[in-house]
Amino acid sequence: MRSRRATAVAALLALGAAFAIVAAASATVNRSAAPAAASSAGSKLISCGTTRTMGVLEPITGPAASLGKLQNDWIQFYVNSHNRTHKKAKLRLAKGDTVLGGPGGTAEAVKAAQSLASNVLGVIGPAGSNEVKAATPTLMNAGFAFVSGSATNTEITSDGTRKGFFFRTVPPDAIQSTSVSNFINKKLKFKRVYIIDDQEAYSTGLADAVQSKLRAAGVTVTRDGVSQQQSDFSALIAKIPRDTQIVYIPWQLPPKGKAFGEQMRSAGKGSINLMGSDGLFDDAFASLSGVYASSFPTSGSHPIVKAFKKAHGGDAEFFGAPSYVAAQVVGGAIDRACKDGKATRAEVRAQVRKTNLKKTLLGFNVKFNSVGDIAGGQFGIWKSNGTAFLPVG
Amino acid sequence: MNWSLFWDLTVSGLTLGSVYSLIALGYSMVYGILKLLNFAHGDVYMIGAFVGYFALQGLGGPQNPSVSVWLVVSLMFLAAMLGGGLLGVVIERFAYRPLRDAPRIAPLISALGVSFFLQNAALLVFGASFRDYGTFDLIGGKTYHRGNVFLSVPQILTIVTALLLMIGLTLFVARSKIGKAMRATSFDREAASMMGIDVDRVIASTFFIGSALAGAAGVMFGLVFGQIYHYMGFIAGLKGFTAAVIGGIGSIPGAMLGGLLVGLAESYSTGYLPQGSTFQNLYVFALLILIILIRPSGILGKADVKKV
Repeated sequence: MRSRRATAVAALLALGAAFAIVAAASATVNRSAAPAAASSAGSKLISCGTTRTMGVLEPITGPAASLGKLQNDWIQFYVNSHNRTHKKAKLRLAKGDTVLGGPGGTAEAVKAAQSLASNVLGVIGPAGSNEVKAATPTLMNAGFAFVSGSATNTEITSDGTRKGFFFRTVPPDAIQSTSVSNFINKKLKFKRVYIIDDQEAYSTGLADAVQSKLRAAGVTVTRDGVSQQQSDFSALIAKIPRDTQIVYIPWQLPPKGKAFGEQMRSAGKGSINLMGSDGLFDDAFASLSGVYASSFPTSGSHPIVKAFKKAHGGDAEFFGAPSYVAAQVVGGAIDRACKDGKATRAEVRAQVRKTNLKKTLLGFNVKFNSVGDIAGGQFGIWKSNGTAFLPVG
Repeated sequence: MNWSLFWDLTVSGLTLGSVYSLIALGYSMVYGILKLLNFAHGDVYMIGAFVGYFALQGLGGPQNPSVSVWLVVSLMFLAAMLGGGLLGVVIERFAYRPLRDAPRIAPLISALGVSFFLQNAALLVFGASFRDYGTFDLIGGKTYHRGNVFLSVPQILTIVTALLLMIGLTLFVARSKIGKAMRATSFDREAASMMGIDVDRVIASTFFIGSALAGAAGVMFGLVFGQIYHYMGFIAGLKGFTAAVIGGIGSIPGAMLGGLLVGLAESYSTGYLPQGSTFQNLYVFALLILIILIRPSGILGKADVKKV
């Protein structure tokens, strides 16, 4: 009896402690989102010295580590090029692992954001749209400008909550989905489309947008989804009707897109057209002759792309290219803010807002509008000849 | 009834099920002998896939193999099985043997630790990029069909190889001296030791065989589905474990049956159930719960009878 009472008391105490922890955590979250805190952290002077620090939030480990590698390769390429020409104003990277798609969810992105040191002046990333949403209070509280090269969810800029802090060097889903649906409906004139998302925020958002635009135009759309972790698509491919005209897969992992295309061909459905999004705009997916992909109007002959390919065994790793531009944006802003030897994060944010990069490797100029999107960003449609993508729309 | 869809799904399920069966066998064999859930087994399968990949590259790659294609494939299997098997023995020696008499939670935690260690070591050594087996270049994309049944060469190779390995294992355990020692150790480790059986050797052999089968499963996966990467062992390991439990953990035929059932369940749920491809794991694990509720020891498992 006594032991039962003791157990009940212990349980109540534990419950009370749990409530206290939850309440304290909630209070912390609320405080961290407060603009007043943001302004104080952002106005602290940081000595620039001869080597300035940029934060990078990217998936270094976990299921999406291959995407992080592409981004990291491009970011590092920018830093190396920059440091060759700026001997007294070098850049270094402080990396945080967001473990995108891992079992810890977006909490890893928040932890990575919290771990950024006090000498970090600006941040590249996070990579995923959900990570951007989760890490926003922490990054804003610290006064950072954070520039993503891959978070395309339309809402993260259109909702206005990150205005002045968040920027991105990829056009949002709203623009990409318009290009894709117009190409399928108006140029190819297809009426039976099968869309398969990969269950990640990037993919489902884009798939939803393309689906609604195609349906509004009277196209018959069948929708399906498959886990990004999956490599066996045979059962899913069996379900795709043979009279389907095009399968649209807005995925992030080009090798998975390639495996899907190969398995379609193995299943005798190679005559159905296949189209990917910018996430599949890569040499691996381009090795499937005749497939389409949407992407920014970059060019393989751009001198920076050529130099990158030369340094990386001939692979352009296009998915990471916008991260190069994000590094250009943050690095350039830090250079300008550090002209007098010291800078605040608020000054870096102001310089990011003033960014005006001409003829970037993405194929357009990069200048931000009031919500942090690229003004005039666009997407084109490309078709593979078996080795590379060529523009078709 | 759309028979074409049915047969496509069946072939897909049997192919995937063959891979799960081979993984499940390792779980089941180790559990049978040590009552240990070796959660690092999925990562041994991943390492096996990488060993097969590097063997392929060493033999000239998928486009220019230096010997005949079938010899390349055989050598890939051999290398992966040998590599996987040796890794299994090393894991047993350093992560499980010192904990053999510790409380059961200790080796379980050690197994999880080894799993994360292998996953991250693979990331460090092999990198984060996907590796392409290049099956189309190596074997070609030819598909055979009879009526509504379509089978590609890698699918035939996978199903036939898995079947041969399972038959071989069954005969080995039933007829060989070490197989008999394995059964005796599984039945009563102490009594087996008193009868002169070298228990350490038997346990190491069990790890070698189970891990070699996982290595073979890794190569099969690479050949059929094309891409391998450092994280591939996590979900496959869970599915292999599920298959072992469904079939009856500790039972070799049970592991084979469980693997095929999980593969078919995954495939049919994708094809026939609402949003099946999105929620296939929901259906597969619901099947696990259902079977465990009806038969707590699995389909072919035997209930633990204790003298009281």
